[in-house]
Amino acid sequence: MHTIPPSILALRPGRTPACHGVSYGRGGLHRAFVGAVLLSAVSGAASAYTATLNPASPQTIYLQVGVGSFTNDYIYGGQPENNTTVNTVSVTVASAVLGNGAAQAMTTNSTATQSYWDGYTYCSVPAQLYIGGFYRTTGAATAAAQITATVPTALTDATGDSIAFSKIQWTSSGNGDTGTEPFPAGTFVNGGVQTVGSMASNTWNESCWTFSYLNNTLPPVGTYTGVVLYTMTAP
Amino acid sequence: MNTGSAWSRPFFLAVALTIIWTAAAQAKTITIDDSGSQALEPSVTLRWKTAAPSRTASDNVMVGTTTIRVRINIMPWLRHSGRIYLALPAQQPGPIRLSWITQGRFLPGQLQSGNRVLVYAGAITAPFMEDTFTFQFTVAGTLMRRAVPVTYHFEMDED
Repeated sequence: MHTIPPSILALRPGRTPACHGVSYGRGGLHRAFVGAVLLSAVSGAASAYTATLNPASPQTIYLQVGVGSFTNDYIYGGQPENNTTVNTVSVTVASAVLGNGAAQAMTTNSTATQSYWDGYTYCSVPAQLYIGGFYRTTGAATAAAQITATVPTALTDATGDSIAFSKIQWTSSGNGDTGTEPFPAGTFVNGGVQTVGSMASNTWNESCWTFSYLNNTLPPVGTYTGVVLYTMTAP
Repeated sequence: MNTGSAWSRPFFLAVALTIIWTAAAQAKTITIDDSGSQALEPSVTLRWKTAAPSRTASDNVMVGTTTIRVRINIMPWLRHSGRIYLALPAQQPGPIRLSWITQGRFLPGQLQSGNRVLVYAGAITAPFMEDTFTFQFTVAGTLMRRAVPVTYHFEMDED
């Protein structure tokens, strides 16, 4: 079949010459024969449709760390949206246990508990931070998308004191989860870019992170902050 | 007389076998002239069947539809009967599923590349057959790095 515009179809050589000229002596017969040959050739070329399959906007990436936005759950036709919220993970260490080496659980202000895939309550707040997303692309043997964290050297307070970022670590899980986490447990580096997970193409990936402060040093009393930027890079 | 009968039987048997063999040899499949058909879209835009992929497994399916006003020339079989098939040869980019609906002149159906499916069987009573087909192509996104031409055609099995 020919999936080409009608105007092009109209210009294609037709078959009608083969229906003419079956008389008028020798010359007429000769023309009729030529017409029949053309008919055969054209018929072979014209009797198959060609549809050009064209992948449209094939590449899509979505990364959610903390809260995110979907128009609806994916299985109900939801579409990903942009969300610029920056969530925090924090802990207040009581003076009685400061620096005693007992890891202190951190909590988040993120309210993201449900997976936008199906609405399933996957993470528990405020203990866990949701991280998830997907990566859509066409073509075979594409490499996984990488998710990296750009980490400052340290958390700092207003007077310039600091706590190394490597004093913060996380575990990874999810309600009812089994198997390997796409975003596994880890510990921040002290400044730099580190890989925190990957997504194979055309799969939905999600984990719930539980952060903790190692609490094995004695920094000056203060409020220490630092911002980690998560980036998804698709091939 | 008896001798004559003994000769005549094998003779008629041989003739009958020859006729049957000849008829079987003449049955053939012919690609039908469809040059009167018109495509309503110049290409088939493939989109992900689902906006986001599956949680548990890779979800690569892409789908695209196109509508064609089919007009096939079946004049050579006028006043005969025949079976018309829609054929999708095996071809690049790989396995393709094609399904279609019609306005009723032909049968709706679906097939995998490398196969054909019956869309009409019966008497050929007019020189042309027309119908509007809405085709849906389904193909794995892993096969679709770029635009790919796919061919398919109607063919006649003569009765």
